[in-house]
Amino acid sequence: MPLSPDKPDDPPAQTQLHWAFKGFLVAARLPIFVMAFTFLGVGSLAREAGVPLGAALLSTVTIWAGPAQVIYFGALINGVALPAIALSISLSSVRLMPMCVSLLPLLRQPTTSRLATIYIVHNVAVTAWAESVRAIRDIPPNRRIAWFIGLTHTLVAAACIATYAGYVLAAALPHALAAGLLFITPIYFIAALARNAREPIDWIAMSSGLVLAPLLKGVVGAGLDLLVIGVIGGTLAWACQKHLRSRSTKGTGPS
Amino acid sequence: MTPDSWSMGIWPYLALILFGFLPSEVWRFLSIFVAHGVDEKSEVLEWVRAVATALLAGVVANILLTPAGALASVPLMARFAALALGLMVFALTRRSVVAGVATGEAAIVLAAWWFAP
Repeated sequence: MPLSPDKPDDPPAQTQLHWAFKGFLVAARLPIFVMAFTFLGVGSLAREAGVPLGAALLSTVTIWAGPAQVIYFGALINGVALPAIALSISLSSVRLMPMCVSLLPLLRQPTTSRLATIYIVHNVAVTAWAESVRAIRDIPPNRRIAWFIGLTHTLVAAACIATYAGYVLAAALPHALAAGLLFITPIYFIAALARNAREPIDWIAMSSGLVLAPLLKGVVGAGLDLLVIGVIGGTLAWACQKHLRSRSTKGTGPS
Repeated sequence: MTPDSWSMGIWPYLALILFGFLPSEVWRFLSIFVAHGVDEKSEVLEWVRAVATALLAGVVANILLTPAGALASVPLMARFAALALGLMVFALTRRSVVAGVATGEAAIVLAAWWFAP
């Protein structure tokens, strides 16, 4: 086959688009529905807060973090002062930093400009991180950005439609379905973490987060407790993994 | 600060950018400098990933411990039982996230209906 379509000098634009479409397909499975349900809630909350529809949509494309948006509109409803709102939002979004730091070295290429990098990290949010942190390793390095942008832009588009729908409809759901709507975020996140888990470090980090949360509740000030959970649980998992590795290398001889 | 004052002119948009977007975005922006020079296979990255994982699990636990709205009417034990059931089905279906989520959802909707106030 002299004219193989898979030879490395394929037209770059076409293959980039191909990988962006693969990113779209990843989003179009389950994450898009999780997004939709989360942002239906954000939209209806924004309406309750009395901001215009445009501001609700703007919050989705700029803040682009469901929990932070819930804090923002929830605090507006309760009449919290704006600087205090800013502080709680900042505390809630600290968790985006380790996610960005763990993804960026896998995404960024030597040719990626500073401006493009800023745009890439802007698209990092919890769902996008949970979907890509494991899968991205199987993507050719120079196609990862295309794949990631395909994935995240699909999610942003779904989130905008859901924000709009939530704002406009703000339908009163039956009680049981409303509970199901609120449950979708925790069950999806935990299932996505379990799917990403391959090594002891992942399992230990996940279960220590679940166990530490009730233990630290009320011990550390609100907003900071998540950060403490992350650092303690993550360090514990990392130390266990190191210990296990050093033991296994001792067992199998020098390597 | 009545909800009325938020719907005036450009102010709701400006407030959102200043007090919502910027305090959140600053962490994404800072991560660029932190990630600079971090190797894709380094131990530091492994630690950072573990921190992010534990943190997300903490978010989930907090949502289930002190939920909002309708979810609060479902007893604590039932909330965590639905989560455990979802994870069990996930494990039994060879790591199918869809099956796990669907099972957990069915369980919580049933529980909410059963314990309805």
